[in-house]
Amino acid sequence: MDAYLIAIGTIAGIYLLLALGLNLQFGLTGLINFGHVGFFCVGAYTSAILSTKGVPIPLSLAAAAVLAMLAAWPLGIISIRLREDYFAIVTLGFSEVVRLIVTSEGWLTNGVQGIAGIPRIFRDGAGEAQAVLMLGLTLAFCFIAILAMMRIVRSPFGRMIEAIRDNEEAVRSLGKEPAGFKMQVLLLGSMLAGLSGALYAHYIGYISPDQFIPFVTFQVWMAIIMGGVGRISGTIAGVLILMFFLEGSRFLRDFAPFIPEVSMASIRLGVIGLALILFTIYRPQGLMGDFTKR
Amino acid sequence: MTSFVELLLSGITSGLIIGLAGLSVTLVFGIARFSNAATGDTMTLGAYGALMGTSLTGSLLAGGLIGLAAGALSAILAYVLVFRPLQNRSPISSLLASIGVAFFIRAVLGVVFGHDQMVFQMDLVRPFRLHGVRIQPNDLKFAGVAILTLALVFVVLHLTPIGRRMRAVADNPLLARVSGIAPRPVMFTLWAIAGAVAAVAGILLGMKTVVSPESGWDMLLPAFAAAVLGGIGHPVGAVLAGVIIGVAQELATPFVGFTYKIAISFLVLLLVLLVRPRGLFGKIEGVR
Amino acid sequence: MILNINDMSKAYSGLVVVDKVSIRLHDCEMIGVIGPNGAGKSTLFSLVTGFLEANDGDVVLDGRSLGRHSAAERARHGMVRTFQVPREFANMTVRENLMAAAPRQSGENLISAFFRPRLVAAQEKEIGSRVDETIAFLKLERVADSLAGRLSGGQKKLLELGRALMTGARVILLDEPFAGVNPVLIEELSSKIRALNARGIGFLIIEHDLGALSRLVSKLYVMDRGRLIASGTPQEVLADPLVREAYIGGGLA
Repeated sequence: MDAYLIAIGTIAGIYLLLALGLNLQFGLTGLINFGHVGFFCVGAYTSAILSTKGVPIPLSLAAAAVLAMLAAWPLGIISIRLREDYFAIVTLGFSEVVRLIVTSEGWLTNGVQGIAGIPRIFRDGAGEAQAVLMLGLTLAFCFIAILAMMRIVRSPFGRMIEAIRDNEEAVRSLGKEPAGFKMQVLLLGSMLAGLSGALYAHYIGYISPDQFIPFVTFQVWMAIIMGGVGRISGTIAGVLILMFFLEGSRFLRDFAPFIPEVSMASIRLGVIGLALILFTIYRPQGLMGDFTKR
Repeated sequence: MTSFVELLLSGITSGLIIGLAGLSVTLVFGIARFSNAATGDTMTLGAYGALMGTSLTGSLLAGGLIGLAAGALSAILAYVLVFRPLQNRSPISSLLASIGVAFFIRAVLGVVFGHDQMVFQMDLVRPFRLHGVRIQPNDLKFAGVAILTLALVFVVLHLTPIGRRMRAVADNPLLARVSGIAPRPVMFTLWAIAGAVAAVAGILLGMKTVVSPESGWDMLLPAFAAAVLGGIGHPVGAVLAGVIIGVAQELATPFVGFTYKIAISFLVLLLVLLVRPRGLFGKIEGVR
Repeated sequence: MILNINDMSKAYSGLVVVDKVSIRLHDCEMIGVIGPNGAGKSTLFSLVTGFLEANDGDVVLDGRSLGRHSAAERARHGMVRTFQVPREFANMTVRENLMAAAPRQSGENLISAFFRPRLVAAQEKEIGSRVDETIAFLKLERVADSLAGRLSGGQKKLLELGRALMTGARVILLDEPFAGVNPVLIEELSSKIRALNARGIGFLIIEHDLGALSRLVSKLYVMDRGRLIASGTPQEVLADPLVREAYIGGGLA
């Protein structure tokens, strides 16, 4: 049971990093990133490929974060000045193309078979100790990210991105260019996604293209919408609800073994879809909070 | 040279399918004012509807009509239950909800039909040669159906009163509202057409390839690319752009490989946004 | 300070909306622009402030041509607009709205926000005290910590004026400042504008409420169907038969 909680905690931490990035982009700035999983994927493959080729893990983690940012940069240049739904479509397309690339470029990514035997970050000592250390590292990254997020929210930078979310035209009328702020937010969020992907790869030990489908992006969307858009505490709450849902659906399988696993995947998809619809219509402000203030 | 012509012909057929999907996206955008991410899964729904219909009636034509009706009905249902409650909110709300609709449709299809690929039972027709160029009779039929569908849509848009009202709303939603054009019948017609057109695209795609719960979602990017390249909200533009993208995909396949077909539409999308964000025929407004 | 609007023109697919409009605003002047609905007044404002791209014409502020500059750059040069429908930052407080408008904040740079906290804190304090002055001047003390989205129409107009002040604007373009404002607050708003003008800020004002406007400005320009059809002191302009006809034609007696 302890091992189970440690595992859940680690996965939750990985999702939390993803969700914090998206909350910065959408919740605070209003950027509609539909391709979050693409940056997660870039991070996962970068760190997996480098570390299996013998690059020290601290370096491969850093490379994952940087490469995810570098991938975001040209997307931002092209689409950040355009209408917000164009940005959504471009990022969605990006994440699909990233998946195509890791599927097709077998020489680098081993194609659909995926990369197995990705080294763990902590390799010494008993299995349990390793797991605890991994949990500790993940939560430490989350902690740093949360502190940074709080710093941003209270800074003039944070004030400006909220102003951009509320009314971009008014921001321009006051002599400030929204594009630069949005670009920085895009890069920061992608960096978090890249780092999260790298941690995921080392934790699970095996990655393949079908783990990086758009469904992941919208799970994270659902988490931040359920928790309350724009609130850091809401993001944490949303990720916990998401974990509860994912694990709950796994327990459901134990009680109803007659449901095949592929149907279960469809049911999860349907539940997330339905939740997206219902929350958008009835509670866009999330389960708690009033949409307005942290 | 002949293989070039063969690729060109094949590209035109798949381009017409992309064009139909792009037309559905662009019509919804022009009138309901948001990017409908459920277009791809409406295609899938249409294809499964046609599969079911065909096995029930034994006729491909009747099956196709049943698939078309299923697409139209699901789109109207999505409008009534989801998009109408959201119509006075930001287009982002509708876009996000349309992702939910897409997932929901795909989930239902996945549970009902499973995840194995299905195919339409069609007679295998030998390709014939014309001046040495191999021509697939089925491709010609698909192209014919696509063109017929397009012709019907444009007849509705340009020659019927409701079509003229739809275009008026597309040109200026505010003006249309104050000048007393009741949007409700316009919206129902729009969604019926958008759903039916997407379904036809899905059925043709299913006949040309295979049907699986994911097949429509994979067409979303080409459909959006066609809508944007054509100038979003511009029906003729979307169809032309779809053909351009289809041809570009086929012609590029020998160089980049089969798997990167979808990447071609992404590339087109990026290029358009970089060079001419309003697309081929778009008005300058509404881009930013 | 001199603002020269030269031959501004804009057409949409052949339909001319603004046709060679030229306006000159001298030091500390207050000028009004009136005209029936659809005369092109708001479009003119958007062209001047860079929110729309002009087909032709130029904007010159103190001898510097701004015609090729972005909207934000024009605002940084001291020419700031407000909006007909107020565009407050609805989910931020009145104080935060005003703080956000202050120019040249080091804390808007992420690196400074993280690594130069003392510099940022000192600036925040300085901006904060200017915001306090602005709030006191606009008499918004009671709502200073309310969300801007919850203000009344008139309060939102005051807030937009306050934001323009915080940018350090030298000329402010007000788009229908009295629309949707109750009569008491109109007087209040007028007196604020007059006081600011006395401090040296120029105003260009679009307005439908001719009474309030003509008591405020020294000169009126009249637009009709995209063109300037008259200009002069309010008395001269309102007596002009051409103007009266345009207004009656536009259904606004």
